[in-house]
Amino acid sequence: MKKGKANIMSYIKMENISKSFGNNEVLKNITMGIEKGDLITLLGPSGCGKSTLLRCFAGLEEVTKGTVFLDGEDITHKAAGKRNVGMVFQQYSLFPNLSVEQNISFGLSMQKMNKEIIRQKVKKAVELVELTGKEKEYPYSLSGGQQQRVALARSIVMEPKVLLLDEPLSAIDAKLRKSLQQRILEIHKELNLTTIFVTHDQDEAMIMSDVIHLFNQGQIEQAGSPVSMYTAPKTKFAASFIGNYNIINSYDFEEMVGVPVASDKEIGIRPETIMIAREPKADKETAEEYVLEGKIKSNSPRGNVLRYNVDVNGISLNADVLFRSFTLFENGSKVYLSIPKRDCLELALGRQA
Amino acid sequence: MKKKNLGSHIFLIIICIYLLIPFAVTLVYSLFTSWDSILPSGFTLRNYQLLFTDSQFWLSMGRTILVSVISVAISITILLLTMFVVVVEKPILGKYVQFVCMIPYALQGVILSISIISLYSGTGSFLSNRLFMLFGAYSILVLPYIYQGIRNNINAINAEMLIRAAQMLGCSEFKAYFFVVIPNIIQGVFVSALLAVSIIFGDFVLANNIAGNNYQNIQVYLFTKLSVSSGLSSAIVVIIFAVVFVITGSILYFQGRKKDLKQ
Repeated sequence: MKKGKANIMSYIKMENISKSFGNNEVLKNITMGIEKGDLITLLGPSGCGKSTLLRCFAGLEEVTKGTVFLDGEDITHKAAGKRNVGMVFQQYSLFPNLSVEQNISFGLSMQKMNKEIIRQKVKKAVELVELTGKEKEYPYSLSGGQQQRVALARSIVMEPKVLLLDEPLSAIDAKLRKSLQQRILEIHKELNLTTIFVTHDQDEAMIMSDVIHLFNQGQIEQAGSPVSMYTAPKTKFAASFIGNYNIINSYDFEEMVGVPVASDKEIGIRPETIMIAREPKADKETAEEYVLEGKIKSNSPRGNVLRYNVDVNGISLNADVLFRSFTLFENGSKVYLSIPKRDCLELALGRQA
Repeated sequence: MKKKNLGSHIFLIIICIYLLIPFAVTLVYSLFTSWDSILPSGFTLRNYQLLFTDSQFWLSMGRTILVSVISVAISITILLLTMFVVVVEKPILGKYVQFVCMIPYALQGVILSISIISLYSGTGSFLSNRLFMLFGAYSILVLPYIYQGIRNNINAINAEMLIRAAQMLGCSEFKAYFFVVIPNIIQGVFVSALLAVSIIFGDFVLANNIAGNNYQNIQVYLFTKLSVSSGLSSAIVVIIFAVVFVITGSILYFQGRKKDLKQ
């Protein structure tokens, strides 16, 4: 069963979804499937349609065309509150006049549930998001991370079939984001809750997801596991959005290595696959690699990685090496790059159907 | 820096004195029988005694409060329902609602009162009753103030997002508006309502033209006493000022509380 594709057994199926606002077509014939218990990410730049798709699934927007199935039921035209779907928004959207426990119990009190049952469910949800002791506080006295956890508890206490997270961590600082990502993953695993996560942050998508759907201009550019998305992008857009690929046009690549490439393709090379050495390898070791002479233009430390920018006959390549030792290649020094041929990926310029 | 602060304090004091002079003079006229030289003479509380023992004064005051409260309530109810439609269903209508609500700024009281009388007088419907005409006229007069208050507060709390969040929790849009949005804007709306009440309190034109002596409000009552005694009319002005001062003080108090809660 191919990850991301809709099939008859998929827990969630979105078939031929299109959405337009006036003359602006925001979603173009999206078809995808999600398995039960998966955490899938809709990834893409701003304006690509990922949040719109999420809102269509939630019922907050009407689709222009297409069908949405959840657990075998057509929910395309069902009201938002009746889909049994929870949603956490980027801006938290906590109710300012209600305390933490009142916020969390809001949905349950709308269902006119027994007060004791509500109390127990709220207590469990508060423990799950590690906010014990904060029940009587109001949103204005909580930090961003705490507010987002309240929003999360408010959704999961309803025991939804699917949890939707619309860039929930975008407004949170980097350090806190890591711990919240971990918390969301733990909750997802503990509850085995099918989750759809929207983000523009590729690192976040790689950490969180079972499957990534990469969006570009209202269409799915590519879908797959984080590893396959990272190591095998199919298009120029996918390579430039995920990872830090060197992208070289066909003419330049042919000039560089002497191998012809179709003119409608470009070549993507991950920086970490490029080895740098002061001397070239012996001939017998170049069968599987391209060996190129170049000159170091600059270097920049990025945490545990040192990125070299190397000029190879006028073509600029980035090569990442682990910051393992203090041996640095000086700017302007002559070096030899070894690039595995199998890591030179052909990238289509446009989206693959 | 100290010199700058002293300068601005002195300037502020001068402005306050300038603004308070008319009130101070009116207060003096209400408490003294004559003022021929530098200092007034003949301190008396007789004007206030006459007022507080005049049943017509209390009736006028009561009518003003009643008309203010009912007119403002009508305006708030209509606008809250209108803004529900704007926020939830048709945001594009927002600019048209704003335009309509701003029109009363440009309407002169005379024009409004004469228009209303000529439209509804003698039609036989309940609107031909002068009291209901007055309710309608005042609820239109205060539209801009109530609209601004509701709209600003709705924008401040990002009402649409709150409604969507409530919807996802199984709440209908209208329930979400009623149980989530309105409780969060009520304090701001209350502040706008107080402002609207103080405006109605100060109105003479509409009350005199539409209701006249049939339903005398405090301003019309003041008008009838102008020819009786300057001391008595000064006392009425002082009392009206005191009431508006209390209303304004309440506005500032509630606005301050809102800011504290936000912090």
